[in-house]
Amino acid sequence: MRYRLKEYDAEAVAFDTASGDTHYLAPLALTLYRLYRDRPGLSRDEARTLAARYHDVEWDPSLDAQVDETLEGLCRIGLLQPE
Amino acid sequence: MKLLQLSPSELRTRLQESGIWLRTGPFSLRIRSRIPHVAEGLAELYGQFETRHAHETFADFHVEVNAPGVLRRWLRPQVDFSFDGQLPFKPLPYDQAYPMLEWGLNWCVSMHAHQYLIIHAAVIEKNGGAAILPAPPGSGKSTLTAALALSGWRLLSDELALIDRKSGLIHPLPRPISLKNQSIPLIRAFSRDAFINRPSHDTTKGTVAHMRPPTESVRRQHEPARPAWVIFPRWSAGSATTLAPRSRAQTFMFLVQNAFNYSHLGADGFQVGTRLIDEVRCYDFAYSRLDEAIEAFDRLAARAPDGEA
Repeated sequence: MRYRLKEYDAEAVAFDTASGDTHYLAPLALTLYRLYRDRPGLSRDEARTLAARYHDVEWDPSLDAQVDETLEGLCRIGLLQPE
Repeated sequence: MKLLQLSPSELRTRLQESGIWLRTGPFSLRIRSRIPHVAEGLAELYGQFETRHAHETFADFHVEVNAPGVLRRWLRPQVDFSFDGQLPFKPLPYDQAYPMLEWGLNWCVSMHAHQYLIIHAAVIEKNGGAAILPAPPGSGKSTLTAALALSGWRLLSDELALIDRKSGLIHPLPRPISLKNQSIPLIRAFSRDAFINRPSHDTTKGTVAHMRPPTESVRRQHEPARPAWVIFPRWSAGSATTLAPRSRAQTFMFLVQNAFNYSHLGADGFQVGTRLIDEVRCYDFAYSRLDEAIEAFDRLAARAPDGEA
C-alpha cells in the first residue's frame, strides 16, 4: 500500500511512502477519496451528486469546479488513479 | 555532584581544560570554553544539574564556545560554537557567547537525537498531563512557558518536544528558558522567584536572556510525561482569554511541518505523529493577561489524569 491514511472526523492526513510527502485532506477531498475507494468506477457526475448530498449542500456550478479541482489534486498526488 | 558545588575558580578551570560534563534530560554534554560569560551563565543557570569529571565520563555532545584566531579577536571580538571540532555556524559577537551556547545545544539535539520525533515546541506538565505548545515566533510561547513554570507547572522544555518513538511519551529537557525583548522585564515583574541572567543585546532575535529552570523540574528531568494537549498560544494586546478546539488533522500538519526530523523518520514519523494526535486534545489559546492564562491552564490540568476532577 503506497499511502498510509489517518482520518480525523471529516478530515485526514495521508503519508506517501513512495515520496515521503505528507498531505492534508480537507473534508471534500476525504469524501471524494472515500467515494472512489468504496465505489471504483464511479462517474464524475455521480461523484459530484454524492459529494453534494454528503455535505448537505445545494448543487451549483462552483461545486462542480471544486469537485473537479479536488479530484485532479487527489490524482496528482497518486491517492486516486486517473479515470 | 551538582554544578553549584563547584567553586567559581574550579568551574572556570574545568571549562578551560578538560571541560564541564553535564546531564540535561536524556543527553550528556561536555562543554569547553575560556569565555567568562559562558562560565557565569553555566554557574547561574545550571547549578542544579548533575556534573562529573569530563575525562572520566562518556558524553553525547562535545561542544566548545571560544574566540577564533588572535587577529580577529582584536579586530572585532567574536565567538565560535564548535561541535566535535566542526563549526556549524558563522561566528557571533563576543557578547553573545552564552546565547550561542544555548542555541548550539538546541542544534546538537535537533540534528542528532533521532530516537525522538523532535517538534519545535515548549512542553509543560501538571497532574500527569503534558501540554505541547507549538507556536511561531512572537506568539508569546516562551513568556507563557516561563510564567507557567513559575506557577506550579513542570517545565519539560522551552524549545524541543522530544516524543519517544516507541512509547509516545515526552522526555524532559528542562534547560533554561530563552526570553526575548519585552518578555524579560515582564517575567522579572511576574515572579520574584524568576532568575534571569544578563541580557545579550543586538542578537538576531533582539535582546535575549535566559531564565533558570525551576529546581523541581530539574530534579524530575528523567521522568517522562504523557501528552494530553496540544495548545497553540497567541498573545495579543487586550485579547480575552479563550480556549477553542481546533482541527486535529491541521494540528498534525502544523506539528510535522515544525518538526526538526519528521522527514528523516519517514513512515515512522507519521506513525508517531498520528499516535500523538490520537492521545491529545487540540486547542487554540488566545490571551493577553498571564494571570488569566495560568488560571485557564490550571482548569485544564484539573481534568488531567492525576487531577482532582
